[in-house]
Amino acid sequence: MEIFIQQLVNSLSVASVTILIGIGITLIFGLAGIVNFAHGEFLMIGGMITWFLVTSGMNFFLALVGAMIFVGALGFVAERGLFQFTLNRPMNGFIMSIGVSVILQHVVIRLFNEVQKTIPDPVGKVWVVGGVNVIAMRAVVVALTALVVAITYFGISRSRYGMALRASIADQETAELMGIPVRRYVTGVFVYGSVLAGLGGALMIALFPITPFTGSVLIIRGFAVSLIGGLGNVAGAVAGGLILGLVDGLSAGYGFPEWTDAYSLVVMIAILILRPQGLLGGTLGPRAT
Amino acid sequence: MMSPRPSRQEIVAAVVVLVFLVSFPWLNPGYRYLSLAITTGITSIALYGLGIQFGQAGIMSVGHAAFVGIGAYTAAILAGRLGVGFWLALPFSTLLSAVFAGLIGLPSLRVGGQHYIIITFCFCALFDLALTNGGTFTGAATGLDVGSIDPIFGLNFDQLRNSYYLVVVMLLICLLATYLMMNSSYGRTLRAIRENEPLARAVGINTALHKIGALMVSGAFAGTAGILQAYYLRHISPGLYGPFPSLYLALMVMLGGSRLLYGPLAGAIIVSFLPEILKLDPIDSRIAYGIGLLVVILLLPGGVSSGLLEIYRRLMPGRRR
Repeated sequence: MEIFIQQLVNSLSVASVTILIGIGITLIFGLAGIVNFAHGEFLMIGGMITWFLVTSGMNFFLALVGAMIFVGALGFVAERGLFQFTLNRPMNGFIMSIGVSVILQHVVIRLFNEVQKTIPDPVGKVWVVGGVNVIAMRAVVVALTALVVAITYFGISRSRYGMALRASIADQETAELMGIPVRRYVTGVFVYGSVLAGLGGALMIALFPITPFTGSVLIIRGFAVSLIGGLGNVAGAVAGGLILGLVDGLSAGYGFPEWTDAYSLVVMIAILILRPQGLLGGTLGPRAT
Repeated sequence: MMSPRPSRQEIVAAVVVLVFLVSFPWLNPGYRYLSLAITTGITSIALYGLGIQFGQAGIMSVGHAAFVGIGAYTAAILAGRLGVGFWLALPFSTLLSAVFAGLIGLPSLRVGGQHYIIITFCFCALFDLALTNGGTFTGAATGLDVGSIDPIFGLNFDQLRNSYYLVVVMLLICLLATYLMMNSSYGRTLRAIRENEPLARAVGINTALHKIGALMVSGAFAGTAGILQAYYLRHISPGLYGPFPSLYLALMVMLGGSRLLYGPLAGAIIVSFLPEILKLDPIDSRIAYGIGLLVVILLLPGGVSSGLLEIYRRLMPGRRR
């Protein structure tokens, strides 16, 4: 039982990072209609900024906010400078985002280096809950993710901004006639998704080392999570993240650990072919061209 | 476009390209540039496959390196297990890649656009994993070694110049095949599917058959590139055929332009030679490459080749076809 609870907290903290990147992708792909292949790089940069600020003596939680602001600004620049021009040709946007991913990855290598970066555990405490040792930082990661998920979920499903956003996806022209600034919402969603990537990166480096190549590994898991749940569906992304985390945990324990990465790929291919709208239903993303 | 006979400009362009490719080793390029030219030629063969499927049929893939890998691994496994040499393995590599490309293309009949691109990426990542976990059969993470190409007509392919000409001959075959395809009714059918698939289906075109056909031709080109690469490098490993080489292939074809005959070749030459000529280190050249791609997509959506064509047409008014 003790080991089980420890494992549960550990898996949940790993799944948290996956869920954060998945929510960002699901919002940007499903609601803003942009396939951003550089989203994993955004997360990696969030981690690198956190590392840089913490090693230069800043408190972790301040550095986390700094990473969120920086990556949000990066998202703003990318959307205004690049992706807004390809909104009606999503394929070109997709290819461009691959270019952005290549650039960001190598700029980080140029500025720092290829060696993996770690920071000391920012909380550095172990809580004993009912005789079970729980690393406090992991619990903090899970709690922060749960908070973000709740804010995002209710923001989209309950607030008037969320309603306006959903209206612009359902029928862009009518939404515009109702006075909704659709283009501004697209930018807003892109920046919000990027801020979540910054947060995900900061939380990730608190748990694991990060290399400049981390982003390109995570991006495919992010796509898997968002496609499993259904694009634009926040609850779906959470479910997808938990499913993927569970599959990974089980396969590491009972299956063939060297094939761990393959399971998420196979699940994703199967869902894309059989249920392109995802398990819980969502938008189909931008019009296929 | 509809003319069955090549126009004067096309003939001039073909002669210029042919003369350039054949005379390149006589320009005294040195070992470094000649071997770079060989890898560029091999890459452009794979790019012509991607050019057909994206430029003509409109199906993009970011998993193309997997088919190059199937060609290369087929050759290496045939050589290692059965002692089959280059010439006998060539049709097998080409065919097997074509078959796999057709199979992996099946989902493209059901899902389109970005969803299919993500599927190709996943398949490519799976292929990489399968090679890495393939034990002694695929040589696992270290890969496989390949011997040299058997001499034919007294030509020894251990000489760099001869392997260059081998690649050039293969490249010319691919160029010719692409040209014939683009100017045939088959090419026009593919372009009709690219522009408006429901309409193409409505006028009685078997879109499924043609799409899979285009993907198989594309796979065949990739397989040819794969066996050439295996025998040129003499050692292949999974890292050469994973998702990232695939992304770079897709970027190169976008950079050069996929719809015009010389677009993929232009993309391969720019990406391989420009960093060398500008003396950029690998990291800077990757950054430059990414920035170049962004500029091309935003300003010249048809790629560098269509930009050059546009300049030519502006300079030569009245010659418009």
